[in-house]
Amino acid sequence: MSNVSAIRRFSLALKAIVAKIVLFVLYRAIKVLAHEDSRIMSEFDSWRNGLTVVLETGNGGPSITLMKRGRKLVRCHHVDDADIRITFRSLDAAFLVLTGQMGVARAYAEHRFMLSGDISQTMSIVRCIDIAESYLFPRLMTRRILRKVENKEFSTLRVYRKIFVGV
Amino acid sequence: MYTPSYYEFVNPGKILSGKYALENIASEFRLLGASSALVLSDKVLNDLGQVKVLCDALTSGGLSVASIFTDIPSDSSIEVVNSIASIYRSSGADSIVALGGGSVIDTAKGVRMLISQGGDDIMKFVGAEVLPRAVQIPFAAVPTTSGTGSEATAVAVIKDNARKVKMEFISQFLLPDLAVLDERFTLSMPKRITAMTGLDALTHAIESYSCLQKNPISQSYARSAILLIHENLEKCISTPGDRKARLALANGSLLAGSAFSNSMVGIVHAIGHSLGGVCGLPHGLAMAILLPHCMRFNLDKCADDYEDILSFLIAPEDFVATKKGDRAMRCVEEVSSFTSNVASRSGLSLRLGENNVSRQDFDEVAKRAINDGAMIVNPKAVGFRDVLDILNSAL
Repeated sequence: MSNVSAIRRFSLALKAIVAKIVLFVLYRAIKVLAHEDSRIMSEFDSWRNGLTVVLETGNGGPSITLMKRGRKLVRCHHVDDADIRITFRSLDAAFLVLTGQMGVARAYAEHRFMLSGDISQTMSIVRCIDIAESYLFPRLMTRRILRKVENKEFSTLRVYRKIFVGV
Repeated sequence: MYTPSYYEFVNPGKILSGKYALENIASEFRLLGASSALVLSDKVLNDLGQVKVLCDALTSGGLSVASIFTDIPSDSSIEVVNSIASIYRSSGADSIVALGGGSVIDTAKGVRMLISQGGDDIMKFVGAEVLPRAVQIPFAAVPTTSGTGSEATAVAVIKDNARKVKMEFISQFLLPDLAVLDERFTLSMPKRITAMTGLDALTHAIESYSCLQKNPISQSYARSAILLIHENLEKCISTPGDRKARLALANGSLLAGSAFSNSMVGIVHAIGHSLGGVCGLPHGLAMAILLPHCMRFNLDKCADDYEDILSFLIAPEDFVATKKGDRAMRCVEEVSSFTSNVASRSGLSLRLGENNVSRQDFDEVAKRAINDGAMIVNPKAVGFRDVLDILNSAL
C-alpha cells in the first residue's frame, strides 16, 4: 500500500467502512427475514444445519462468516473450510454490490466475484440476498439492479427496526 | 451491437480445423513440450475404431501413447476422474488427448485440473474462477459430436454420484490448449445424435446471444454459430456424408461453445439439466424441446436480441417486410419451425410426454432448475411456477 496514492487509500478505507456496515446489515436482515419472510424462511429451511458461508470483499477488505445453527443464522469469527466462499475480486466490486449499484446476478455475470463451493447451493443464498435487498434498498434502486423486485411481505421500517433494535 | 459497461472474454485455445487436423496434434504437442499422451475416450468410439485412428495419427507424428482409457461413462463422475488421474501418474504421460463428446472432454478437463493442481480429490476445486494457474499439462480435445462445444469452454460438469448432483467447475485454466475439429469423426454420427447435438449447439448460440453477460465478442461468435448451424444442420441429417457441412457444423458448435463459455447460458439449460437429472432425458433433446418455449418466456426481456437473431435466419427482404414489433415473435416461430423440421427429419418427438417425462416429475424438475447455476444469468428472473408453466406447455 506504500505506493498507493493518498486519494486511493482514503477511497479504499471509506469503502471498507461502508462494506463492513452493509455486510453486518445484510447478515442481520437475512437473520430477521429467515423468521419473518415466508420465502427466505423456506430457503433457509432448505440449508443443511451447519452450512457455512463466507463473504469476502477482496484483498484486505472486511468479510463476514455466517453459519446456519438450528433455526438461527449466526456470525462466526473464522472458518477454515467454508462450504461456500464468495470472494469479490476487488473492494471496488464489492462496494458496487453492497451499496445497491449492482445486483448479485449482474456481478456474477461480470465475474466480479469468485465462488468456491457448490454453485446450486449458492443459488438459494443469492435468492435470499435478492429478497433482502428488496427490503433494504428503495424501489428506485432495486428496480434497476434486480431482475425481479419481490413484493415485500411487510414494511421496510419493520425490518430496519428489527435489525437495529431487535424488536 | 450491445456493449456492456464491463465484460471479460477468454478466447478458446488454438483451433485446428479440417483436413488432417488430427495429424497435426503431435507437432503442436512437441511445441508445447509434450512427448507422451494419455488418450481418453469411450467404449463406443473404441469399438468403432476411432480411438485407433487417433492413436495412429499421434504415433505416426512422433507422439507416444502412454496409456488409453476408454471406460468413460456417458455421465462423467468424480470417481472416474480421480481414478484416471492415478492412471495418468503411473503411466508416465505428460499430456492428455480426449476424443469424444462432452462427457469425455469434461472428464479430461477434470483429470487435467487434478493433475495440474495436485491432490487426489477433484471436489476441492468445485466453484467458479477459484483455480490458480498451476502445472501446465498440454491438452487436446477432439470432439466427435457437434454440440457441446466443450472443446472451447472453460466449464466442466462432473457428476457427484454420492449426492446424485452434477458439480460445475468453471475456470479459464480448464480450456484445452488445442481444439481439434476433424470431420472424419462426425461422418458416422447417426441422424438422431446429429439432430440433438446440433440443436444443443443452436441453443448455446441463442442463449449466449441474449444472456446477461452478452458482449460484442460473444455475440459475434454466437452470430456465426447460428448462421453455420442453420445452414448446415439439415444438410448433415439428409446427407450424413457431406464433409463440408459436417465441418461447418463442427465449427458452429465450437463457436457457440466459446460464446456461451463467456456469456453463459440461461433458462433452457437450467431446466434441461434438471430434466436430464430427474427423467434421464438426453441433453440435446431437452434443449430442442425447451428452446422455443423458453424463448417465449424471455421474449419481453430479449426482444432486441431476438430481432437480431431473426435477421440471421431469414432472407433480408423477408426481414424488412416483417413489422418491427413482430420480429421478436417471428424469431421464436422461426426457431420453433427449424427445431420441428430437424426433429421430424431425424425421428425425434419434441413433446416431453412422448419422451418418458410425466407431469409427476415436474415439481422435482422445477425445484432443481431454480437452483441450477445457469438461472442466475438468465435475463429474466425465473421462479418455481414459471418453470412449471414452461414444462406444462412442452408436455
